[in-house]
Amino acid sequence: MTTLSNHVPDPRLITAFAERRDGPLHRVNPWTKVGVVGALVLAVTVFDRLALLAGLYGAVLVVYGLAGLPYRRLAGWYTLPMLFIVSVAGPLAFLEPGTPIGGALPTPLGELSVTWAGLVLFAELSCRSLTVVTFALTASMTTKYTDVAYMLGRLLPRPIDQIALLTYRFTFVMIETLEDLVKAALSRGANFSEFWSNKRLYARILGMTMLSAIEQSERLVKSMEARGYNGDITLYGDVSRPPIHELFVVIGSYVAVVGYAAVAVYGVGL
Amino acid sequence: MAHIHLGEGSFPLWALVLWTLLGVGLISAVVYRVRKGGIKTHQIALAGIGAAASFAIFQLNIPVWGGIHMNLTGLVGILAGPLLGALIALVVNIFSAALGHGAVGLLGANTLVNASEAIVAYYAFKTLMGMDWDVFPASASAATLGLSAGAFLMGAIIVISGVNGSALPRGDLTIAVAGLVGLNLGVAVIEGILTGFIVQFLASVRPDLVGLADRDTQEEPTGVTA
Repeated sequence: MTTLSNHVPDPRLITAFAERRDGPLHRVNPWTKVGVVGALVLAVTVFDRLALLAGLYGAVLVVYGLAGLPYRRLAGWYTLPMLFIVSVAGPLAFLEPGTPIGGALPTPLGELSVTWAGLVLFAELSCRSLTVVTFALTASMTTKYTDVAYMLGRLLPRPIDQIALLTYRFTFVMIETLEDLVKAALSRGANFSEFWSNKRLYARILGMTMLSAIEQSERLVKSMEARGYNGDITLYGDVSRPPIHELFVVIGSYVAVVGYAAVAVYGVGL
Repeated sequence: MAHIHLGEGSFPLWALVLWTLLGVGLISAVVYRVRKGGIKTHQIALAGIGAAASFAIFQLNIPVWGGIHMNLTGLVGILAGPLLGALIALVVNIFSAALGHGAVGLLGANTLVNASEAIVAYYAFKTLMGMDWDVFPASASAATLGLSAGAFLMGAIIVISGVNGSALPRGDLTIAVAGLVGLNLGVAVIEGILTGFIVQFLASVRPDLVGLADRDTQEEPTGVTA
């Protein structure tokens, strides 16, 4: 049966964790979290040793746990990132030159084997990807709706900020619309288990979701214009600057990553 | 958005900078065109809620090959046009990255891929409708074409960039990536057919949305409910 997927994070659940829980990371300034995400992206891009990447991933996993977030759900949410890793790194594990692990399998196209270098590459790419995925989810699950909306309004240029704010607001509405349409079809005896024999049903549900979105946007236009919309959706929240000790953590992260990259990766002499 | 996203840290630093700059360039050009033309309130509302719908549809598991997810980027391009379609692709990528789907550092590359899907689908649909094709074959072909363009661009981006930490020569990498592109082309056909049925359905209830009737003649909403 097709339902809304449980291996894609549900934005409603993510927001519920941010609004209802109160872990140590909930009290960290949202700008600090954005800064750390940037430092992690840089780190997983320039770090070149599996031990270092695995250590970084382990540290992020610990932070996720300290924030009071559930590991079991995280394992389910890894499905899609792992699919991306397997789709790129899977073939590379076989093609990467190096010493084969446990001999080679003869095929009509030649010998097929996973090499040690291929295995290390697969592990490296997994650690790189999952480190940032885990911290992005940690940041999303510990930052309140109003703070995210405020930062979207500050970070993005107009009109992208307006579009992003409306998207954020209406994502929850559209998911419920889609869920209602699926439930309604199921209650009328629909069967979603096979795509090809039900392709018109899928098209009708997805079409109605888009149609609902378009008609909501038309109603929204009237209410926005009635309130004198002039290209600015006013945000009432405020996210203050990070406190000095958090600022030191962010700056320290960048200095450590850039320093390591300069010395160990690019060979800059001290 | 039938393609498989590129994982974080897959590319070396120079490639990350290159694709980010190209992505920023594309979005800057789109924003400039949008601002120059004077964006209307209904365009902002359509783009915002259209992106929300695209993001919501991604939550649905389609039972093909064990389960696939779609954002219907081709459909978004056909309905919203190339400029708004590109902005929607960016916004959906930002929200996806925040939920661990896609990559924060590869927002530029992913936006290039998805924007190309929306832009190609829009122009292909307009061209085919101009040649008097019926709605279903025109929209199915346009979406398939757009998604295929995105799949090839994604493959090209990976081959040009190389994979971080891999010693594989570009020729062998091309072979590895060809399988990935082939898989995406298969999904593109499925998503294209689904897009065709959706556009056919939309044309039957709101022909103005796909340019088959004057938008001003549409007086009452269809009142979609479950």
